[in-house]
Amino acid sequence: MKHFFILTILLTALISVYLSAAVGLSLQFLGTQINPLPALMMVVALRAPFSAVVTLAIFGALIQSSLSSDPIGIGMLPLYSLGFAVHLNARSLSQHHTGPRFALGAIAGAIVPALTLALLLLAGKQPMIGWFTLWQWAVGIVSSGLLALIYFPLLEWMDHSVEEQPLAAPYDTTTRIVRGPNLNG
Amino acid sequence: MNNRSYVIATGLVLLLSIVCLNLSVDSSARLKRVFSSFFIPLFSAQEGLETGGDAVVDRGVPRGVLLEEIAELKLTNQILRAELNQTAKLRNENEQLRRNLQMRPHPEWNPRLTRIVGRDPANWWRSIIIDLGSKDGVKADMPVIAADGLVGRVQEVYDHRSRVALLGDPACRISVTVEATRESGILSASGKTVFDPTLLDVLHLPASTEARPGDPLYTSGFSKIFPRGIPVGKLLAIESAPGALTTSARVKLAVNSSKLNEVWVLMP
Repeated sequence: MKHFFILTILLTALISVYLSAAVGLSLQFLGTQINPLPALMMVVALRAPFSAVVTLAIFGALIQSSLSSDPIGIGMLPLYSLGFAVHLNARSLSQHHTGPRFALGAIAGAIVPALTLALLLLAGKQPMIGWFTLWQWAVGIVSSGLLALIYFPLLEWMDHSVEEQPLAAPYDTTTRIVRGPNLNG
Repeated sequence: MNNRSYVIATGLVLLLSIVCLNLSVDSSARLKRVFSSFFIPLFSAQEGLETGGDAVVDRGVPRGVLLEEIAELKLTNQILRAELNQTAKLRNENEQLRRNLQMRPHPEWNPRLTRIVGRDPANWWRSIIIDLGSKDGVKADMPVIAADGLVGRVQEVYDHRSRVALLGDPACRISVTVEATRESGILSASGKTVFDPTLLDVLHLPASTEARPGDPLYTSGFSKIFPRGIPVGKLLAIESAPGALTTSARVKLAVNSSKLNEVWVLMP
């Protein structure tokens, strides 16, 4: 049933990217767009199977760039690199308290945009960067940390909701059946 | 998960990335069209919600306020009609003169109102998504304007939506003319102007420019994309360096695109 879980992760990515494009509040008040995918990738890499990391990196990057002037799939490699590194070290990363969750999300929010910008420059594109990029980066780091706090419980809930639950037995499972010739001693 | 799976997955992502980055413009646009279609239900839902919300708000407006607004609009309509009649006379006269001088007639533009349904999710580009596409007759490079002036040009067209590159985006560098001096330059964003989306630079003005802060700027009409005379903004400051062959100037745009909800696409 993990296929359904991965499907719900992709649906979350789709809705998150849509909201970041359609709701312009952060652009209006902070002068910057918020990228939800780094935080989502961080949580997925910690809580979901590796196939989910790969699928999210590919699908997430493709749908996000389809709404942007970015070259198609430019975010694929940065997202995957983050997901891969986190997934390999998932057991050594603390993820059960608010502080570490925020920190992990913030780290994701710092790494992915930096790698994407580097890739864009390497690809010969001319993104609009300046001192203001540092402000956008800082807002991205904080917002990614906050988004991680939302995604952690959301993915836990989704995992429990779509995961196969054991069916209730039609008999009392605590009854012990003892067979053998020495039944009464 | 074994090492082989990691190697295969990494190879797959690397390969896909390389393929995507080396796609031709057409293939890339086609792929973007395919993946943007995933958002169709969400954009449709947004449109439905906005229409429903407007209807609810309209029902809540008291009748007295509506009657007052109607009276005001009627008055404005009469004034605009009178002005339009005068403009029509001037236009006829202009066309007659152009015919006499054997000049090419001005193209007729058919503005079409459209809603902004999204903005570029990446911070390093300036573009918006509008809810008109190729099925509505929109084509790439059509100019997009707002009531106060130029907004940008259509960059990519999908079936029911299009992406518009805004002024200052690397995909929307345009030629502008200072009205007072008839000097032309190229409108462009620089690292210093990305703090405020309404601030841009005009590059390549003559070194001996006589332009002054406050002078209005219009589209020059040198390109085939933008007709001449669309307001762009006003000069804020002239930045000339001694010995330089050209001068640059800071410009305040007429339209703050981050606060817009609707724009007009100029269709021929």
